[in-house]
Amino acid sequence: MARLARPNQGERADLSTLFLTHDTGLSHVTPAGHPERVERLEAIFAALRAPDFADLVRRTAPAAPEAEALRGHAETYLKAIRTALPDEGWTPLDPDTFMAPTSLEAAFRAVGGAEAAVDAVLAGEARSAFVAMRPPGHHAERARAMGFCLLGTVAIAAKYALDHHGLSRVAVLDFDVHHGNGTQDLLWDEPRAMFVSSHQMPLYPGTGAADETGAHGQIVNLPLAPGTGGHEMRAVWEPALARVADFAPELILVSAGFDAHRDDPLGGLNWTEADYGWITHAICDLAEDCCEGRVVSSLEGGYDLAALGASVAAHVKVLMERSG
Amino acid sequence: MSDIAKMSFEEAMKALEGVVRDLESGNVELEKSIALYEQGARLKAHCEKKLKEAEEKVAKITLGPDGAPNGITPVEGL
Repeated sequence: MARLARPNQGERADLSTLFLTHDTGLSHVTPAGHPERVERLEAIFAALRAPDFADLVRRTAPAAPEAEALRGHAETYLKAIRTALPDEGWTPLDPDTFMAPTSLEAAFRAVGGAEAAVDAVLAGEARSAFVAMRPPGHHAERARAMGFCLLGTVAIAAKYALDHHGLSRVAVLDFDVHHGNGTQDLLWDEPRAMFVSSHQMPLYPGTGAADETGAHGQIVNLPLAPGTGGHEMRAVWEPALARVADFAPELILVSAGFDAHRDDPLGGLNWTEADYGWITHAICDLAEDCCEGRVVSSLEGGYDLAALGASVAAHVKVLMERSG
Repeated sequence: MSDIAKMSFEEAMKALEGVVRDLESGNVELEKSIALYEQGARLKAHCEKKLKEAEEKVAKITLGPDGAPNGITPVEGL
């Protein structure tokens, strides 16, 4: 049964933006030289210490119960990665993806943080939320860890909003420079979840062509040519967001990767902090039209530390401005 | 052959096809994917340069000063 907060007397109350994280995001250590590293989260914490962010409501990301991962993953896969967890050092799951002793707890807190944010936003305790955890999640498929990701955080949170809270329609918007193949895999046959992803093509993981549209036509892939920037990004996202408005989601989840930034070493697009501000405003416009402004955003990629800090700051600042 | 500038058109095309195949296969590591794309872009630029040079050579053959074919004029670098 949906429990959605309604505004009083037609007026929208001022609500806050939540910021959820946990220290295990700092103990998920990757081998020396790995781009998905602890310093990414430290750069985000430093950027959000600025006075502009004093009103962020900071909370600890709880660990999701083990069963929550079953919303997206095969039991055999979960058992296999739990068994593979090392006592020290690392277990490689693929050439990119490593588990340290606390990595799985960190991944479960990324899921738990996103689900707690969904709870708070649907209960009307907050307008929006940003979950800053690592490892990221959008490459993890139903039975395969890949691309630095262990659990499909945002897809699991979408299924949680649908099945636990009883929502009818949820949108997942992904602007990481890499295609969210894992989210697509987990939501391929889910007509209640619309998934939109923009990403550089060609680039890892090789999926995300425009003709990949899901089992119900509910998946929209927006491949972007290498070297393109904010102009081209806006040109594909404006009509895509209009399609999402027609879908009328009751909640918007965001896979917020910041590696389309022009300074990022793993991507070849030319977005700037202003572009992250633009797309966040566009998402908030949509959320205000469709679902009383409810937006839950989770960190995915972003590997240039200065660009990551500045871009997350631009994203969160807009979420806060639009919460009041 | 790693020195792209010394590749023939055929060699560069073959290498470019390999890069595209790898990128589309999904088996390239995330961390190495951008470097592979950049190698592909250099190969593509080299192929385009070779094609342009060939087009110029054809133009020299087919267009004389009076607009009629009048033999082959050597083109520098070919």
